[in-house]
Amino acid sequence: MLLELDGITVAFGGLVAVSNVSFTMAEGDVLGLVGPNGAGKTTLFNAVSGLVRPTQGRARLLGRDLIAMPIHARARAGIGRAFQVPQPLHELTVRENLIVASRFATGRIDNERIDEILDLLKLGHKAEAEASTALALTEQKALEVAKALATNPKLLMLDEVLAGLETAGKRAFMHTLDAVRARYGLALLIIEHDIETITRLCQRVIVLNFGKLIAEGTPEHVFNDSEVIRSYTGGEAA
Amino acid sequence: MTNAIKLAIFLVLAYGAVPLALGGNPYVIGLIVASLTIGGISVAWALLGNLGGMVSFGHAAFFGVGAYVSALLTMRAGWPVFPAMLAAGVGAAIASVATMPALRLRGPYFALAILAYAEIFRILATELKSVTGGAAGLLSIPRLPMVLGIDFGSKLGGYFVILTIVLLAMTGYQLIRRSPYGLALKAMHDSEDATKVVGVNSTMLKAWMLMVSAFITGVVGAFNAHYINFLEPDYAFAGLWTTLAIVSAIFGGYRTVTGPLLGAVVVYLVDQLLFKAILPQGHQIVLGVLLGAMILFSPGGLMPLLVAKFTRKEASHAA
Repeated sequence: MLLELDGITVAFGGLVAVSNVSFTMAEGDVLGLVGPNGAGKTTLFNAVSGLVRPTQGRARLLGRDLIAMPIHARARAGIGRAFQVPQPLHELTVRENLIVASRFATGRIDNERIDEILDLLKLGHKAEAEASTALALTEQKALEVAKALATNPKLLMLDEVLAGLETAGKRAFMHTLDAVRARYGLALLIIEHDIETITRLCQRVIVLNFGKLIAEGTPEHVFNDSEVIRSYTGGEAA
Repeated sequence: MTNAIKLAIFLVLAYGAVPLALGGNPYVIGLIVASLTIGGISVAWALLGNLGGMVSFGHAAFFGVGAYVSALLTMRAGWPVFPAMLAAGVGAAIASVATMPALRLRGPYFALAILAYAEIFRILATELKSVTGGAAGLLSIPRLPMVLGIDFGSKLGGYFVILTIVLLAMTGYQLIRRSPYGLALKAMHDSEDATKVVGVNSTMLKAWMLMVSAFITGVVGAFNAHYINFLEPDYAFAGLWTTLAIVSAIFGGYRTVTGPLLGAVVVYLVDQLLFKAILPQGHQIVLGVLLGAMILFSPGGLMPLLVAKFTRKEASHAA
């Protein structure tokens, strides 16, 4: 198994943001993670990439215990993460962003791969531009993915990278993600609100609501599940 | 003018013209050596601030540890001076490891914690009488040696040694800054989580910068001990080593590699040659005023101001 989550629980004081969530992903899987706002999706991402420490539960990547590793070690182990709000490395150019990711996650600067990634993500013409000031939103989102790819991940976690893009931009970005997957064959874990996007990209979907995993299956199956529909349309009344 | 030509001119001036012009004036050479000593600490301080993102009020700790390590190695263990000075740098770097719990603190809290460490080291040097000679200090510390016919123990010889130490420190600083480590450190200040998720061990990198900074400061402290041949705890760990270095760095331009050295030379020489003559008591107050004015008019310091002026001039010439 590539990723195994077993009973992951994250509590902030009395608030349980993620409650006893378990699932697995095989290599090359594309898994969608959906749920209403505040369902705990980003917190679950944080628990896997190391930004928060789960109160309970276990996480393994290719059999290795992730919970014991600090954030940077998880990146080296193969966890790539794109943030919902783009976080370019400040004061660095686009290329330098990838150089840092390549050097520190893999131990060497793989210039060939960096050029290839810039090409795939259509950032080649902005390679020498300052990342935190000179990029449009789509390019910032592309850089989030590019940075994560430069770490040579086995699992790429995308937190709403398509949110905020207009329809054409979304479609183009989905094609880019297809190309990325075709080239690197990595597994994707995708947080996304847009049901159409999820249906188009993912073979399998899990649904979180109030921190709990309430449904799992193919997009067709999950989006027809009455509990899922209720969680999206407003609880008991629906 | 290309940077290579500028560097060549600077080297000719520093290693040729200055000693030729002022070599016969031990008083002025002595002042320049003192300014370069502060310049060395200032470069180390700015390296930690710029690359590590840490403001230190405690560099006197590393200066003092370096001074004592080198003095004791030469006096008690019979080490030759130059290897002992390198060992002093290593000693100061090791001492900095003791301050690393403070790395968990940010901003002013780190600055204050490291100030406390400097005080701890001063007290240790005072109380460990059997090793350090206590408050009475160490007398007759070996002077810098004669190598290949050059007497580094003279005032002028000392000038060449401290100049070389400071320039090597600046070269190291520049090399780190340009490396992927420098890039990661630069990015870390404003996007720490983002650097961590791409595999950067930011705590480790900061610790390295603290050690490099302490190493440089320790070597400079060791130089000073062999240059003045005398040490006592209140002198070696004096807060003045830190404050003068900070004033120099900020005055000269702490964001640049050359600014701290320029600042140290200008601030120290102007203070000693001009203000001291006018105001024998409390002349340092003028430094405070100068620093305040610099922060108000050119927050980046003297170096960026000069660079802007010259680039404008060159641009207008070109046009």
